[in-house]
Amino acid sequence: MSTNEPTEARLSNGVMSTGEGMRIFPDVEACIDCGGCVVACKRTWDVEISNQRIDITTMLEGHEADEGFNGHQTRAIDEGANPGETHLPMQCYHCENAPCVSVCPTDALQKKDNEFVEVVDDLCIGCQYCLSGCPFGAPQFPESEDGLNAVVGSGGVMDKCTGCEERQDAGQGPACAEECATNAILVGSSGQIADELEKRDSGAFFNETAMEIIFGDDARMFDQ
Amino acid sequence: MTNLDHGKFSRVTTMFHSLLALTVFLLFFTGYAVAFNAELWWLVELMGGNQGVLAVHRIAGFALIFLTAFWVLYMLLRMGGSVGITAVLPNLADIQAFVQDVKFAFGMVDERHPNARQFAGYSADEIPLISYIGKGVIAIFTVELILLMVSGLLIWQQSVLIDFYNSQSVVTAFVGFHGLLGVIMMMGVMFHTFEHGFHPAFYPVEMKAFLPKADTPEFHGEAEGESVTGIERLRLKPSWGWVTNVMGVLTLIGIVSVLIASMDYGGYPISETLVFDEGSLLRTVGVNIGILVLFVGLFLSMYGNVLRARYMRQIEREDRRAAATDGGEPSDAR
Repeated sequence: MSTNEPTEARLSNGVMSTGEGMRIFPDVEACIDCGGCVVACKRTWDVEISNQRIDITTMLEGHEADEGFNGHQTRAIDEGANPGETHLPMQCYHCENAPCVSVCPTDALQKKDNEFVEVVDDLCIGCQYCLSGCPFGAPQFPESEDGLNAVVGSGGVMDKCTGCEERQDAGQGPACAEECATNAILVGSSGQIADELEKRDSGAFFNETAMEIIFGDDARMFDQ
Repeated sequence: MTNLDHGKFSRVTTMFHSLLALTVFLLFFTGYAVAFNAELWWLVELMGGNQGVLAVHRIAGFALIFLTAFWVLYMLLRMGGSVGITAVLPNLADIQAFVQDVKFAFGMVDERHPNARQFAGYSADEIPLISYIGKGVIAIFTVELILLMVSGLLIWQQSVLIDFYNSQSVVTAFVGFHGLLGVIMMMGVMFHTFEHGFHPAFYPVEMKAFLPKADTPEFHGEAEGESVTGIERLRLKPSWGWVTNVMGVLTLIGIVSVLIASMDYGGYPISETLVFDEGSLLRTVGVNIGILVLFVGLFLSMYGNVLRARYMRQIEREDRRAAATDGGEPSDAR
C-alpha cells in the first residue's frame, strides 16, 4: 500500500477514526482469541513477558463453575443471550466515567481533555485502588514483586494500555486494533462504534452499568 | 496521700503509651498524606515520597498490630501488678457518673460523681484510678484501632477480599470505611491531646503518662482536710492562656473550613461521594490545621519523654551527691 494514500484508507475496518475523542471497544462476536492483539501490543511497547496491557478473557457461558457465586449462573444462556464461548479483549477502554480516576487518591490517573486516561508515573504510589475500581482488569502492576514492594505488598507504579496515544496522534490506530485479523477491536467515536456494532448485528455485550461507565451519556446509542 | 502526687502507670504502660503514640502518629501522617494528597503535598515528601509512603504506612501498621497484641496479652496476664483489665472496663458506676455529669452540666445536681472526679475534691483512695472519661477513651481507641487494623489488612489484601465477596466494590467500601474511621479517630486523638496536654493543672504535659509509678516521688504528708487533693499546690503556667486560645481558634477554623468546603462536594457535612484531590483553599486550610494539631500532639509526646529523661538524670545526680555519714553508700538517699 502506498504511503501517499489518505490515512483513512490505510486503517483497518476496526479503526474508524483516531485521536481526540476516540473510544476503544470490543466486538466479542468477532474475537477468535488468536492473541494477535496481545503480541502486537507487547512488540510495539516492549511490554515485558510477565505483563500485558491487553488480555483476552474467555467466558464459557454454557458451563457452570464448580462452586461459589458463579456456580449457578446459567441465566444468560437460559435467556438465549450470547450463547456459547465468548472471547473478550480486555484492556483500558479509556472510560468516560472512569472509576479508576475517581478512586485514585493521589490524582495519578487523569482523564485528559482528549478523552485518554493517563497514568502519571511520578504520582502513583502503588496503592492498587484502581485495581478495585476498574471493572475491566486494565490496571497492571509489573513492579509488584520488586524488592520492598514485595515485602510491604505495594503494587509499584501502575501500568496499563495507553490507547497507543502517540500512534493515534500520528493518525494510526492502536497496535492491537491494527493487528486484529477479525476487526474485533473497534476504535472511533461512540457513534461510529455503535453504528458499526449495529451493522454487524453484534450487540454491546456489556451490561448497562458497564456501558454507562465506558460511554457515559453516549451509552444510550447502543442496543443493549 | 492524694491522687495527684502518685504515679498512675507502670513502666510498661508508659513505654507502651509512647510507642503507640509514635506508631499512630506515623500512621496518621502517612495515611493523610495519601488520602489528602493535594492538600498535604508537602507531607508526602516527608513521609517517604510517592514510592515510600505506603511502605512506611504498612510497616507502622504492623508495628501497631504487634504492639496491640502484646498489650492485650499483657493485660490478660495481669503482669502489670495492681491494674488489670477490669480496671479499665466501664461499670455501672461509670454510667451513673455520665448521667450525673449531664445533669451537672444542666445545673440539676450540685456536684460531680466520684467516677468523674480526678481533680476537684476527694482524695486518691476515694476515687477510681481512671475516671469514666478515661475508660471511655481507652474503650473508644481500642475499638477504633481494631477496626482500622482489620479494614487496613483487608485493603492490603485486596485480591483475597475480591475473591471472597466476588465483588470489587467491597474493597472500595472498606477503603472508604478505613479513611472515614481514620478521620474520626483523629478527632479522638486531638481530644486526648487537649484533655491531657492542655489541662490547666498539667500543661504542657501530664507527666503521669511518661513517668512510671516506680520513679514518681510519693508525698505522704499530713492531709490538711477531707477534700485536699494537692491541686492547690499547682501553679498555672503563664503561657497556658494564650496557647489554649491559639489552639482553640485553630481547631475552630479547621473544623469550619472543612465543613464549609464539604458543601462544594454535594452533601453536608459529609460528602455524598468520597472526593479526593478536588483541591479547595478551605479544605487545604482545614486539613493542614488538623495535621498541625496532630504535630503538636507528637511534639508533646516527645517532650514528655524529654522531661522524664531530665528528671531521671536529676534524681541520679542527687543520688550521687548524697553520702552516708560513714562515707559509704547511702541506703536511703531518696
